[in-house]
Amino acid sequence: MNTLHRRDVLAGMGSIGLAGVSWPAMAQGTPTSGGTLTIGINDDTKTLDPTFSIQQAERQILHLLYNTLLTIDVDFSLKPELAKSWTVENDGKRYVFQLQDNVKFQDGTPFDAAAVKFNFERRLDEKIASPQRTQLAPIIDSVEVLSPLSFAINLKNPSPGLLAELADRVGFMISPTAAEKYGKDLGTNPVGTGAFKLKQWTQGTELTLERNPNYWESGKPYLDTIVFKANPNTAIGVQRLMVGEIDYIYGLQPDALRQLGDKPGIKTEKSKIGRWYTYEWQVDKPPFDNPKLRQAIAHAIDRDRLNQITMEGQATIANGPIPSGLWWSSPDNVVYPYDVEKAKKLLAEAGIAPGTEIPMWTTPTPVDRRLNQLVAEQLAAIGLKINIIPAAISDFYSRQVSRAINFSITNWTQRADPDGLLFILFHSKGFANVTGYNNPKVDELLASGRVTQDRERRKQIYAEIKDQIMRDLPYIPIFFAAEFAGYNSKLNGVVWMPDNHPRFRYAWKVK
Amino acid sequence: MAGFILRRLMWFLPNAVILTFVLFAAVTVWLGSPAAMMLGRDASPAAIAEINTVYGFDLPTWQQYLRWIGAALTGDFGRSYASHQAVSAMILPAIPITLELTAWAILLALVTSLGLNSLAVGRHVIGVLSSGFSIVGITFPNFMLGAILIYVFSVKLGWLPTAGWIPWQSGVIDHLTHLIMPVLTLFAYYFGSFSMIYRAEYRAVDQQLYVRVAHSKGLSPTRVSFRHILPNAVLPVVTFIGISIGRLVGGAVVTETVFSIPGLGRLFVGAIASYDFPVVLAMGMIVLTSVMICNLLADIVLASLNPQIRL
Amino acid sequence: MTRLSKFLRRGFGIAIILIVGAAGAFAPWLGTVDPNASSSDILAASSAAHWLGTDELGRDIYSRVLYGARISLIIGPAAALVALAIGAPIGLVAGYSRGKIDMLLVQGIDVFIAMPGLIIALMITVMVGATAQNLVLVLGFVMWPEMARIVRSLVLGLRDVFFVEAARSMGCSVFQLLTIHILPNIMRTIAAQFAILVSSAIFTAASLGFLGLGLPPPAADWGTMVQTGFDYLSLNPLLSLAPGTAVAFTVLGFYLIGQAVD
Repeated sequence: MNTLHRRDVLAGMGSIGLAGVSWPAMAQGTPTSGGTLTIGINDDTKTLDPTFSIQQAERQILHLLYNTLLTIDVDFSLKPELAKSWTVENDGKRYVFQLQDNVKFQDGTPFDAAAVKFNFERRLDEKIASPQRTQLAPIIDSVEVLSPLSFAINLKNPSPGLLAELADRVGFMISPTAAEKYGKDLGTNPVGTGAFKLKQWTQGTELTLERNPNYWESGKPYLDTIVFKANPNTAIGVQRLMVGEIDYIYGLQPDALRQLGDKPGIKTEKSKIGRWYTYEWQVDKPPFDNPKLRQAIAHAIDRDRLNQITMEGQATIANGPIPSGLWWSSPDNVVYPYDVEKAKKLLAEAGIAPGTEIPMWTTPTPVDRRLNQLVAEQLAAIGLKINIIPAAISDFYSRQVSRAINFSITNWTQRADPDGLLFILFHSKGFANVTGYNNPKVDELLASGRVTQDRERRKQIYAEIKDQIMRDLPYIPIFFAAEFAGYNSKLNGVVWMPDNHPRFRYAWKVK
Repeated sequence: MAGFILRRLMWFLPNAVILTFVLFAAVTVWLGSPAAMMLGRDASPAAIAEINTVYGFDLPTWQQYLRWIGAALTGDFGRSYASHQAVSAMILPAIPITLELTAWAILLALVTSLGLNSLAVGRHVIGVLSSGFSIVGITFPNFMLGAILIYVFSVKLGWLPTAGWIPWQSGVIDHLTHLIMPVLTLFAYYFGSFSMIYRAEYRAVDQQLYVRVAHSKGLSPTRVSFRHILPNAVLPVVTFIGISIGRLVGGAVVTETVFSIPGLGRLFVGAIASYDFPVVLAMGMIVLTSVMICNLLADIVLASLNPQIRL
Repeated sequence: MTRLSKFLRRGFGIAIILIVGAAGAFAPWLGTVDPNASSSDILAASSAAHWLGTDELGRDIYSRVLYGARISLIIGPAAALVALAIGAPIGLVAGYSRGKIDMLLVQGIDVFIAMPGLIIALMITVMVGATAQNLVLVLGFVMWPEMARIVRSLVLGLRDVFFVEAARSMGCSVFQLLTIHILPNIMRTIAAQFAILVSSAIFTAASLGFLGLGLPPPAADWGTMVQTGFDYLSLNPLLSLAPGTAVAFTVLGFYLIGQAVD
């Protein structure tokens, strides 16, 4: 319960030179050097400058070109990377970091505290207009260089979630020299401290990385080259895997596994924590400001059937935004079982006449479309007529944000810290709060979860939040999706993190 | 003649300005600020307002247009909102790819349609076949043709790679195997159109005196067909190729999407779908101006051949 | 073209359109089940219960293709009608007037004709959204220049023909000339062009569907079905091939009629 001055030093991780992250390897055996890994990806990569990166597909590439200050492990715990240790001071309003020594950027310039400060200021600069600015500006007060290998961040308010952010987009360290040199072209000329360098890039088709011979973790990386190939769709991607054109593909739905069959030489892996699929709507205006309507719809959706048809039954039904297996998981206390009669009754109590039309927005993503059509069918069974309105994916997010979309399916990946996702979605001022959800009790809980350092206490707080959210239903959780990766059995060392992005840095191939 | 050209040029400039402005206005006004799109899920009202100021989205449309056209005339089409890459750097590498694809398709179509249709003289079966193929070629949807080719040659037989593009430098064989199916898909439409135009002109030329003379000299029909009729009947086909420059990009769109080829068509479609204004505007302007220039040239050529047109 | 070939084309064309029309009209009876009813038997191969198998939501592909005929047979002709309604008057005026007005109109028409119609349709549809009304209007808008140009050249040809001269000398107004004397003579060609435009509209609508701009789900839009099916080509290719064939078939039918009517 002691939230005052706590030192949180990670010992034993500071050995010079060999300090690296020990992620569990996929298979046993000693890594062999050399070889090329070819990965199939679905999205287009638009930029390799972490300051502006928003596409999912870019993250896995960024982890190869750059290092982050911290990193996460498969259980979301935080581990050192470029920062070899850190302490929390001043009631959580100041973090002091010690950096790895002898690290150079790929252009030869040294990585030091001044470079770190440059990176933070770049994210916070108004003129640069990075999407990360709105996240960081309210939290960070200043960044101080204490010595060439140590720096401090001073916060306006305590924010335990910040450390987790340093393992993600905010923490990718760019070479200041390169940033000045290339300016806006940094997106195609990335320079980091990472294990791989950019060799060649045909946008939308193929991207090739080659080994960085001066990488600071000695003996690593093992591979000579990594190639990312864009698949026009999943079926082609799986086909390419089967003929050996690519070695790894992820984000596969269970029905893609049917295609693979029992082909020898190919293995599959299921993601530990799937994406959270959920319906969202605006609860501060009609028609969804009516709690009985929300409950009626919650009972009308047959989630097992959705799971059966879209995920071959392999997804985990969700009764809240928090999956099991995390330190902040809690039991499902508030549930809405599939019950058509109850749904109809609630609908009548809500005063909604049968035949009422409700618009629902969808992206072109196949999973989204399938879910939406199925849900529309199920809601038709209780008397609600759903009109599905398609939108292009870029348009979709912007309309969500401007709250022009009311009622749609959406999905989120988990963050390393519970505050990361829950605050932005459920706090009345959370910037991803598109539902207009405003519950002062939840606001209070979220705020206290933010500043509390004690893990047990935080766990209780988030359990309470989850129960309240399920009572209020600003979202209808559907499931945590089942996603698979398929890979060549010669491949080892790829780690699929719970944030849904595989890490290829320490991968190796059997000859 | 010079007066004619001058008059046409006078029409050209105001036309160009009006059309590009209409394009610009339609794209920007209708879609509003792309700020939210640029920020993705991290968009918040404050961030959007910032982007609006930095990029000038809150200026009136005509001012934004002037800014844009001023830069465009110097070759600077701005930067993509999605990737922050210079738009010209995105468009330039895509041009040779689309050109190569279309060139192969047109070449193949030219050779086969001219050859087949010229050979058809006296050979009824070939004539019917060619007729049939050309109708199918024109009407068959290219995405369907692509689907069939992929299914048969890639999924079932495994002879050809399903999709993608390998540049020459990375391997000639690879480059060619990746070319085959997309070229065949594009080729069908051109074969159909060329055949129809050629056959119509063929019949007209066939009536000419010198052709009858050639026949009466005892030359084989095939020889007459190739040596005497073809060179004269081919002109409309060539003109057709010339004025379908605008259709180049359009025709490539579906094929490039099906086979995931990084050409102009796919670039355009991707930009439209992701509301990437600068790219859409740049491509729109390129298509617009090239179409207008080709029209102008075609008019000039036809006018010089047929004085009656120069009213 | 020879009499035989014309006869064959007309015959095939009519046959095809009748088949497609019947498929659309009698879909509820010809189809085996409700086309939008999902089932847990997803991506099944063809069987007695599902003649063409099922799609990714367990829906019967055969029924969906039949219902898709309705969509195409409504959108196609409607779009061609819009093109006619806009293009024919403009063509008539341009062909008859000559001089400045004609030149102005011709300039406009020429620019539009050379534009890739698919791209313009794509851009506008992305902006306004793909509903049935919008598609009809957008496609009609993309196609009117073709109709205008044909009408114009026909009128140009007829303008100074003898009977028109005679009518003019008798004092007929321009409007009467256009409607009573010129129009009936060019009806046949216009009808032929109309059929070709229908064919073109269905083609473009399917292409838009393939690029993701078809009618919203769960509509059985052929183009959208082909696109969705691409993901499952090796599991059940009929998901793409069946609607694709339907599109090819229908487009062909209208085109043949257009060719043969002239």
